[in-house]
Amino acid sequence: MSKLLGLDMIGVSSDYSTSMIPQEDVILRMDKKYPIADYFSYLIVSDNIRSLDGKTDLFLIDPFQRKDAIKRKVKRGLGIEISIASARKLEAVMAGRWLKEVKSIYEFCQSNHCQFILSSGATSVNEMISARSFESILNVVGISPRIYWKEISEWLYAKSKARWDHVKS
Amino acid sequence: MQKVRQDGIMLNHKEKRRYVAIMYDENGLYRPFQIHEKIVVRFRELFGIFQSELAMLKLYDSEFGNIMIVGCKLKYLDYFLVSLILTQPALTAVSLSGTLKKLRKNVSRLGVRNIKNNPS
Repeated sequence: MSKLLGLDMIGVSSDYSTSMIPQEDVILRMDKKYPIADYFSYLIVSDNIRSLDGKTDLFLIDPFQRKDAIKRKVKRGLGIEISIASARKLEAVMAGRWLKEVKSIYEFCQSNHCQFILSSGATSVNEMISARSFESILNVVGISPRIYWKEISEWLYAKSKARWDHVKS
Repeated sequence: MQKVRQDGIMLNHKEKRRYVAIMYDENGLYRPFQIHEKIVVRFRELFGIFQSELAMLKLYDSEFGNIMIVGCKLKYLDYFLVSLILTQPALTAVSLSGTLKKLRKNVSRLGVRNIKNNPS
């Protein structure tokens, strides 16, 4: 499916299943480290500001929430993720505002050395979003897709490299 | 190619179009013409009626089960794709081409009908 959408990697929510076959183009998303993480690339994901700690890789943000509280808690290198799934249900005015907020969160990430991540938030195949569609959103809000893909690749590489270094030592 | 007119030179220029193959939920409530209407409404809401008319969003028959094809002017492709992903029900653009013939060929190569059984 990732090839069909033009994506090199996709994040899959972990349901603690051990029956999955490790694949290179899959990154598991989990709320804490489970044994399955020994076989897959993984990211620790949180959507609760209170549970945000040093182990969290990715924080799922509501674009309409105030950024003051987040600013106090974020650390350098944290991924800040916006899910598109919730925006589909928004009415016209709020959908327009959502696009504006995407840009403002991107600027927030730039100034706080965090990684901006746009995700589909898909729970089924039909909700998945192609690379070209992600690029359209980025273009419309005024973010260069080329820079976005470069930064996200470097961030993912740094995350996996840090883990390998940890395993070796 | 140029046509010379009395009031100057007019370029015989046809604006480029792009055709997008869109995967939709076959078991959902909506048929392709209703989904097309929903995308057009979202486009109008986000980018305005004038832009929507200029984009010339047109529905085509895909000849595949859960795939529909929508054409739009290349200049408005980003607006169209944003409207598509911000439309409820969820839709996925699976292929894009400059001609309908090539797009149908691309879609037939994808084996889209098998996707639901192979989520990874």
